[in-house]
Amino acid sequence: MAEIVTKPVHDAEVLESDRPSRRFKWSTFITFGLVFGLLALLGWGLVQVNLGQVDSGMAPDFTITSFEGETITLSELRGQVVIINFWASWCPPCREEAAYLEATWRKYQDQGVVFIGVDYVDTEKEALAYMEEFDITYFNGPDLGTRISHDYRMDGVPETYYVAKNGELRGVKVGPLASPELDEKIEELLAEQYP
Amino acid sequence: MLADIGLMALVVGFLLAVYATAVSAWGGWRNEWRWVESARSATLLAVPFLTVSVLVVTYSLYVMDFSLAYVVDVSSQSMSPFLRLTALWGGQSGSVLFWAWLMNGFVAAVLWRKWQRDHDLMPYFITVAMLTTAFFIGIVVFITNPFARLWHIPGTTELITAVFQPIGAVAYVPQDGNGLNPLLRHFGMIGHPPTTYLGFTGFVIPYAFAISALLSGRSRDDEWIRTSRRWTLVAWIFLSIGLILGGRWAYDVLGWGGFWGWDPVENAMLMPWLTGTAFLHSVMMTEKRGMLKVWSVALIILTYSLSLFGTFITRTGVISSVHSFSKSALGPVFFIFIGVTFLGSSWLLLKRLDTLKSEHELESLISRESAFVLQNVLFLAITFVVFLGTVFPLLSELFTGTKITVGPPYFQKATGPLFAALILLMGLAPLFAWRKQAVKRLGRAAMIPFGGSILWAIGWGYVHRMHPAAYLVLWLVAFVVLLIVFEFVKGVQARMKRGENPVTAFYHLMGRNRRRYGGYIIHLGVVMIGLGFIGDAYFQQETQMALARGESLTLGEYSLRFDNLEQYPGSDGREVLEATTSLFKNGEFVQTLNPRRDYFVVQQQPMTIPAVYATPAQDVYLLLVGWEEIGFGSSTFKMYLNPLISWTWMGGFVLILGTFIAAWPETQRQKKRSYVLKPDHLQPQPGLGGD
Repeated sequence: MAEIVTKPVHDAEVLESDRPSRRFKWSTFITFGLVFGLLALLGWGLVQVNLGQVDSGMAPDFTITSFEGETITLSELRGQVVIINFWASWCPPCREEAAYLEATWRKYQDQGVVFIGVDYVDTEKEALAYMEEFDITYFNGPDLGTRISHDYRMDGVPETYYVAKNGELRGVKVGPLASPELDEKIEELLAEQYP
Repeated sequence: MLADIGLMALVVGFLLAVYATAVSAWGGWRNEWRWVESARSATLLAVPFLTVSVLVVTYSLYVMDFSLAYVVDVSSQSMSPFLRLTALWGGQSGSVLFWAWLMNGFVAAVLWRKWQRDHDLMPYFITVAMLTTAFFIGIVVFITNPFARLWHIPGTTELITAVFQPIGAVAYVPQDGNGLNPLLRHFGMIGHPPTTYLGFTGFVIPYAFAISALLSGRSRDDEWIRTSRRWTLVAWIFLSIGLILGGRWAYDVLGWGGFWGWDPVENAMLMPWLTGTAFLHSVMMTEKRGMLKVWSVALIILTYSLSLFGTFITRTGVISSVHSFSKSALGPVFFIFIGVTFLGSSWLLLKRLDTLKSEHELESLISRESAFVLQNVLFLAITFVVFLGTVFPLLSELFTGTKITVGPPYFQKATGPLFAALILLMGLAPLFAWRKQAVKRLGRAAMIPFGGSILWAIGWGYVHRMHPAAYLVLWLVAFVVLLIVFEFVKGVQARMKRGENPVTAFYHLMGRNRRRYGGYIIHLGVVMIGLGFIGDAYFQQETQMALARGESLTLGEYSLRFDNLEQYPGSDGREVLEATTSLFKNGEFVQTLNPRRDYFVVQQQPMTIPAVYATPAQDVYLLLVGWEEIGFGSSTFKMYLNPLISWTWMGGFVLILGTFIAAWPETQRQKKRSYVLKPDHLQPQPGLGGD
């Protein structure tokens, strides 16, 4: 903000031609610096919002510890099809897909398919109660510091990411899964050759 | 058919706005008044066209014409006619149309009445204001058109939303719509959104005046700033009402125990309100003493920019908020628009800085003038603190990769002392003389309120001594209230010496100095609103407990007995779970309270509706947070004692009342007495333009 000029002005007309100063003005520099800075920040934020989920290329790697204390690292699962499901106990649509997810896991667990449940912004007690309610037996762990959901640019729960045997992402499902789409996707990914 | 009429009216409205922008700029540049006249007519003519468009959308919502995608989105069979009408501003397309319509209305209102007085500014005023309006109408036409229909391509499952029929598609008309977001299904829907929009859009008027003054080089004259002040007051009062209604709505519906949560969307409204308030003060100095011109102009620009900024961050989802719309092409277009607005405005302000030189210098540190400077600084500081907290999630994500949201504690701690200083200044500043104030005299004038407030604070603080800061804030409030009351007492006494009785003296005092005493009443309202915040910050009590039928919980002097819990299907497609409880104060029955948990089946959204027992001292605010699924034998309740909250709502009324007293147009007789007419050479020349 420019400072208040404290000199009395007697004749306004004199000012018209009053020293057209060409010297460097801090007020100009700071004002435009701030405005450009703000616009850059907003523009960047807008780009981030509109990027959408990561749905192709190599799946961002992560290591996650389950509620039981087991640790799993995505990059060590090459050769297997990985299904990453983001969920939370407070999320009603997650409940729609929970039984289907678990049933599909039981169907494919011996065929080289790994399910990773990533619990997003949740409390452990409620999360465990939810898992018990749906008798969920596949790997599940909390997304500490929301790092994984950030890397995948997840937008909300539930979201399901499909990782091929070679570690590449093969799409994402936003919203609850419904039979038979997960089965179809898994069959498709299992059919891929590796290596 | 009807929708086609609405669409055509919308397109004509858009073309008129574009035409007005272009020819007013041409006319102003070439100094050809017939073009400016034509731009004015186009602006006025756009109003009925946009009105038709708005009416068609509203009617379609009312009769549930599900051939329109917007109607499918926000209307449904189960919604009451009242909610179907308010759905006009319940979704993106409708609210942008409503916004554009209001903005066009404001511009037309200025052109209708003030054509003569601000004659020289009109060409650029129309250009700036109608460019903005055309932008918003353009968004409605091209990006989020409420007249778009749903289309279905046979053999696919996807639905397409488009105005015109895509190749190979057939129209799709569902039997029922999705309906409004459950949070919006509330009586508050009639008040908060329209007043807020009126506030936001209204700021375009002072902004356009400021920009046109800078553009035309007439910023050296002060006449335009008087007009700006009036229109700012109009926008400001609507924004104030919108803020108060929004707080009330949150209190009644969102069920978190308070009325102000420092959510980005609340901050988005608060920031322009703060700078707008600062402007309304700063402009007094500009009018009376020819000082603080840079401040005043910068504050107008800032107020308008902040209302755009707030709309941008909340609506595009850049900072997540309960109000964000889904992703759309709106973001990038809006971004370019605010970029042009921010950069253009700051460039123009800096370029014309020399026309905004002060006519007097600050003579003393303790004077009315320096008090005004200080209040500007305080308002800006609070705005900055709120701004920083609002964009912090973005900043933290940029620098650390993690989105960190700062919560209410940050805002309370950082703005609390600044607000306290501002309230103190608000009480003291009217005592300061222009130019220079003798400290001794000031001490004498403030002595009685000061002593009184100390006594008051000691007594009151003793009753509520849970927090040491309580003494301080209660003293502050008491002091400022007494200072304001004393201003009235002094005024009345002076008139009584001339032989008037107290009632007529009071009446005449108000009548002759409406701006001043209206202002004091607004100040009183602000202190009352502040009481609610103080109660919330320092004295709120809460407890949570699971109760079986017949059991009670106690908080303060209140106890609550759980009597019954029942479930029934409500209107609007909701399953209602309602508890019956009895509230006792010191063992005596006061009232039955029925907190509810409504579950919207289709949207799968629960809504916790509190039961409130309100008294001037405190509110009992009761939430139903849990229950035994089988047999409903027990329920968990969360109970808050919210002290002083009622004062916030009463303060809101007082603030509105004060604004009306201050802003009511003066009669001709009073006008002559209270200000000097503009010198002849500054009067617009007859024969050029005019209506």
